[in-house]
Amino acid sequence: MSILFDGLSLGAIYALIALGYTMVYGIAKMLNFAHGDIIMVGAYAVFVTLISGGHIALAIGLSVIICVIMGVVVEKFAYKPLRGASPLAVLITAIGVSYLLQSISQLVFGAEPKTVTIASLGAITLFGAKISVSSIVTLVIGAVIMAGLTVFVKKTRTGRAMVAVSEDKGAAMLMGINVNKIISITFAIGSALAAAASLFYLMQIPSVEPTLGSMPGIKAFTAAVIGGIGSIPGAMIGGVLLGVIEKICLSVPVLAPYTTAVEFGLLIVILLVRPIGLLGKKRREKV
Amino acid sequence: MIKSILKSDDFKIKNFINYIVIAAALVVCIILFQAGELKTSYVNLLVQIGYSIILAVSLNLVVGFLGELSLGHAGFMCVGAYLGTFISIQLSEVIESKVICLLISMIFGGLIAAVFGFLVGLPALRLKGDYLAIVTLAFGEIVRTVFKNLPKELFGGAMGLSTNAVKFTKRDIPLFIIVFIVVILTLFFVQNLVRSKHGRAITAIRDNEIAAKAMGINVTFYKLFVFVIAAFFAGVAGVFYGHYATPVMYTFFSYNYSIEILVMVVLGGMGSINGSIIAATLIPIINYKLQEKLPGDLAALKFLIYAVILIGIVIFNNAPKLAPIKERLSVKALIAKVTAKNRKPEDILNDPAHWDRIPTKIAMDEVLSTDIQPGNEYVPDKPAKGGK
Amino acid sequence: MKKFSKVIVLLLALSMVLSFAACGGGNEETTAGNDEGTTNNGAALEYDLSKEGDYTADNTEYVIGATGPLTGDTASYGISVQQGAQLAVDEINAAGGLNGVNFKLDMKDDKSTAADASTGYDALYEAGMQASIGSVTSGSAESFATRADEDGVFSLTPSASADKVINASDYAFRVCFGDPDNGILSAEKLAAEYENIGVIYDTSDAYSSGIYDAFKAKMAELNVTYIEQSFDAENNRDFSTQVEALKDCDVIFLPIYYTEAGLIAKACVAKGCDAFLFGCDGLDGVADQIDATVTNKISYLTPFDVKSEDAKVSAFVTAYETKYGSNPDQFAADGYDAVYAIFEAMKALGVDNVKVDPAELGKALTAQFTSADFSYEGVTGGMKWDTTGACVKDPIIVELQ
Repeated sequence: MSILFDGLSLGAIYALIALGYTMVYGIAKMLNFAHGDIIMVGAYAVFVTLISGGHIALAIGLSVIICVIMGVVVEKFAYKPLRGASPLAVLITAIGVSYLLQSISQLVFGAEPKTVTIASLGAITLFGAKISVSSIVTLVIGAVIMAGLTVFVKKTRTGRAMVAVSEDKGAAMLMGINVNKIISITFAIGSALAAAASLFYLMQIPSVEPTLGSMPGIKAFTAAVIGGIGSIPGAMIGGVLLGVIEKICLSVPVLAPYTTAVEFGLLIVILLVRPIGLLGKKRREKV
Repeated sequence: MIKSILKSDDFKIKNFINYIVIAAALVVCIILFQAGELKTSYVNLLVQIGYSIILAVSLNLVVGFLGELSLGHAGFMCVGAYLGTFISIQLSEVIESKVICLLISMIFGGLIAAVFGFLVGLPALRLKGDYLAIVTLAFGEIVRTVFKNLPKELFGGAMGLSTNAVKFTKRDIPLFIIVFIVVILTLFFVQNLVRSKHGRAITAIRDNEIAAKAMGINVTFYKLFVFVIAAFFAGVAGVFYGHYATPVMYTFFSYNYSIEILVMVVLGGMGSINGSIIAATLIPIINYKLQEKLPGDLAALKFLIYAVILIGIVIFNNAPKLAPIKERLSVKALIAKVTAKNRKPEDILNDPAHWDRIPTKIAMDEVLSTDIQPGNEYVPDKPAKGGK
Repeated sequence: MKKFSKVIVLLLALSMVLSFAACGGGNEETTAGNDEGTTNNGAALEYDLSKEGDYTADNTEYVIGATGPLTGDTASYGISVQQGAQLAVDEINAAGGLNGVNFKLDMKDDKSTAADASTGYDALYEAGMQASIGSVTSGSAESFATRADEDGVFSLTPSASADKVINASDYAFRVCFGDPDNGILSAEKLAAEYENIGVIYDTSDAYSSGIYDAFKAKMAELNVTYIEQSFDAENNRDFSTQVEALKDCDVIFLPIYYTEAGLIAKACVAKGCDAFLFGCDGLDGVADQIDATVTNKISYLTPFDVKSEDAKVSAFVTAYETKYGSNPDQFAADGYDAVYAIFEAMKALGVDNVKVDPAELGKALTAQFTSADFSYEGVTGGMKWDTTGACVKDPIIVELQ
């Protein structure tokens, strides 16, 4: 039981990161490999605010602001010049940005992992298992953000413009949608999600280092693909599934060393059965 | 098939210029080495350049010619490095000569990797674009996790596989000579392949799979074929790695290294073999120079500079807005101007080279979009006979 | 495109050729070292310290080389070694060097990979390295030692604890304990004192699995059972499951590095686990990774205690803090000792030739380190070296809280 809850709270973090991946992919059709490193920037923002005596609320606010600025700046300088170029070129640039952010944070903060102390929310006992409140909060907030995003995309003008851009960039432009602005907004939202993810990450794993983002980044990418890349509920389901599987594997000593292999093996199996992920949208192929 | 590869080639000197350049460079290096004018660092760097070229050219087959994004090339290399070198170590107990051990294990390492290439090629029949990319990435990670957990007595576990028994040292024939001979063989194979009718079939699949199918091209066969060939060469590169560095550690073959190979392909230009060769030569040199020039406290800058170079080159090469500036600076434009008189439109049919000038930019919307046909189950293609 | 590429290929080939020609620095001597055998038979070596090396002809200082992870996942270990070693070099130079000749530390980044350790070695050798402190992590250190063996360069690795490293070369030595020693000592101690024993080890790390293997064998020999949990540091950063499984143990053995140990300690808080956490020298530095919420008793087997009253240690800690603004960890202390040990050995040998040939110095240092009367008193305790290159020193148990 306890393993299930541990898995759920880890999965919630993966899900939050995967939401950012999936948003950006859905609109800009690019794999933003630097997304994990935006989380790292957010985590350092929380760390700096907290050690300089700031309140946790201030830390959250600053982290969101810095991540959003970072996301938009990266989009403007690294990805925007490549609009219209091959997506692979954008992918490589994203990797370059990821290296850049990692090396800058190593230069600024050093390579040593830094401890972040976020006041513990305590633990409650449920079904005979001890569960930390922060994992429940992570799950609830993750679900709220997911619902909010779905409503935003379906109901608001900007949200619908996003859908239009993701369906057909050219047609959207002809309908008077400012495609560049919509993409920038997408990056801003994705980065804000990364900031939220960084906070929950720190609650669970209270340590920050320059390479913090790479592992959860790749896991979240996997989660997004399992759920069907571009699908908001899919990212959530994929993340939680991955978290639970990881924890179950780790709890079986024989299987534990192969955890990564099992996770990725699951991905391959799911994709072979459903080539578009669990909730992915089918697309017609035209000649 | 080899016959048709050979036949399709129109023996023209310009189609051979890259072999000649590499062979000449190799000869010069050997002469310098014999004269003792080649520093050890360059001897070793040449090995790195050699296996990087093999990796980049073979990945280019998948990414540039077949048009499928692969993020697991290091996984095939890992298979070759572990199993190929393992075979070589076993052989070294009966065979004295390291060169023979290397050559035998190279073939086995390549073949075993090719089997894995076939396995990865299978999902490629069903998946496209980013979904296939993540499957290849997953494959790479699974492979190295498995090697990490294989029995310690055989493969060293987390300690890595020590290859001292077969590693080439200063007292042996320099490894770079063998590597570069294999590079030339690789180029011979790959270049003739892409210039043959098989190569045209592969690029046709890249440009439009449905149209290619309609034309009677056996898509199933060619997709698997490309994955198998690419994996074979990656496995060979892995065997070289095992004979070059000890220990073979699973950490080296992470997706980061797959991405580094992809960087070589993209910087060189997708679908451009010469581009891959240049990029695969430059990147190890850049890495080495940065490592050499930035010791101690400055090492963190190394990563920063590498990242800036990477972003800069990609944006300069690909940004649509910079295209006019690039054209003005390009040597290509200058050459085109000089040779313009040979390119009269009415002569285009007689130009033997025009069809194999594969564009470096592919309409990647086609390649990367998740185009799944409405609802139909996958049916294996029947080998088309009449169409060819 | 084609023509352009060809021009570039041609230019490139030409420039390659030219640069090779320009850089070629004369003939290298192939040393007639032997690959077989792992004993460093010092007495049999003959050396000539007045000989000048080809690549060391421009040296104005003694150059000590090293590689280590200065970027990437394990960068914190490499940077600690670099800082500790640099501090030692600065102190030696401030005190007048060796007969007035200064030392210089040249440390290249190897990202903890064998290939980069090998190219790093090339760069160091050609920049005039005369002796080295090898590499930081086991895989790279093995690669480094193998290459150094070809040239007969001496290496004294601060922290690579796998036996493969010192076995790779006659000229390879280490400052730290070996993995098996750590595992066996820990197994003996824990089996004697505790009943419910749990272990969490890192399957992806040579150090951790090296200790764990020895521990496992010793526990089997002692016929003591324990609960085993593992993780993979590259992929897992959340230790709730492992701690949950070991919640009721009296003691959890952690043969891992301090970064993960800190996270495990904090996972213990979250899970309400109050087991005693016991580890090896890799745990040193964990003090900075935990906060006041951690109440578990933590102690580890180490030769170095940052809080020690010893004058030498406290002087080192103060100097390190002044220079870098943080407490030195095990890696820094080992790096510091490695440089000093080489310095002391060179002093004892009476080296007085700034251009001394690395191979000759390698033979001389090997003879010196294996000689019965050479010992060095460092911040990680008194050290002597046996003929395999292993360091003989006494561990102490540091109790953190």
